Amino acid sequence: MAILSPRMKGWLERFGCHIGTANKSGFPTTIVVEQATTEGDSVVSFNLTDAQVNHIKDNIQTNPYVALAPHAIASIRAAYQFKGAATLDGNKLKVDVKEIYCTKPGPEAALRLDTLPPEHVIKFEESRWRDVGPPK
Amino acid sequence: MKMNDEMLSSLKAIGQGGFVVHLTTVSAKAVPNTVGERFVAAFGDEHIVIADMFAQKTKVNLNENPVGIITVAHPVKGRYWAFRGPCTIIMWGEDDDYDFHGVKAGDVLREWGDWAAKEPPSEVPPDIRPPALCQRGVITLKVDDIYSWKPDELGKEIN
Repeated sequence: MAILSPRMKGWLERFGCHIGTANKSGFPTTIVVEQATTEGDSVVSFNLTDAQVNHIKDNIQTNPYVALAPHAIASIRAAYQFKGAATLDGNKLKVDVKEIYCTKPGPEAALRLDTLPPEHVIKFEESRWRDVGPPK
Repeated sequence: MKMNDEMLSSLKAIGQGGFVVHLTTVSAKAVPNTVGERFVAAFGDEHIVIADMFAQKTKVNLNENPVGIITVAHPVKGRYWAFRGPCTIIMWGEDDDYDFHGVKAGDVLREWGDWAAKEPPSEVPPDIRPPALCQRGVITLKVDDIYSWKPDELGKEIN
């Protein structure tokens, strides 16, 4: 199980994500949800519109693994990617995050963060970014 | 599919007045990968190019499954666009005459193969600026369809 850091949670909740999905053949569909909530250490959930549900429900049913990348200014300030298994219950999409990557350009691009101890992740974040979350 | 004038004029790196995008690719096992990309531009009116700064998983995925989606991330300003189509990385060393859905590799590399020299990211704050910009090629997407990702009109085709 991956553990989301407080910084990750802050940016995810404030700005939401681009959610990459694919059918079993690997044909992609991306939706954008501009707000999220986090639950516990690893779950990110989204309230989808009916149009969003209709657009991805077949993909989620047949291939539930999805990729999340922070939206808006968080696409710059919060260079993370999260991957995990999604479940759709009505209009609520829940993603249980299994993998976390740093996507900051440069030598740490694609560095896997969920395999590090949580305290190491926080130290890494403190050394790489000046903020500890989105502006209030 | 041709992009409209608004798309063509705003498909630029954020430092040039454009926007940051996310690129979604998918592995052969159908696992998506979605990452932010800062260096983006239109190439002609049917292709979008992105600097390949050693996007490792993206390269593996495109070698296995050459299709992608580019979605506008920031600043959106009403541009709820998702561009989808065949996608590849045109690498340095590729034959100049290699044709990817209507564009020649040599033309793409000559124009966008050294993005940092052409459009240095001088506006990027120090804590998020890459320490070195090394480009091995140009991610190139041929636009086959464009849909709106706006939550209440998702999927609406745009042209």
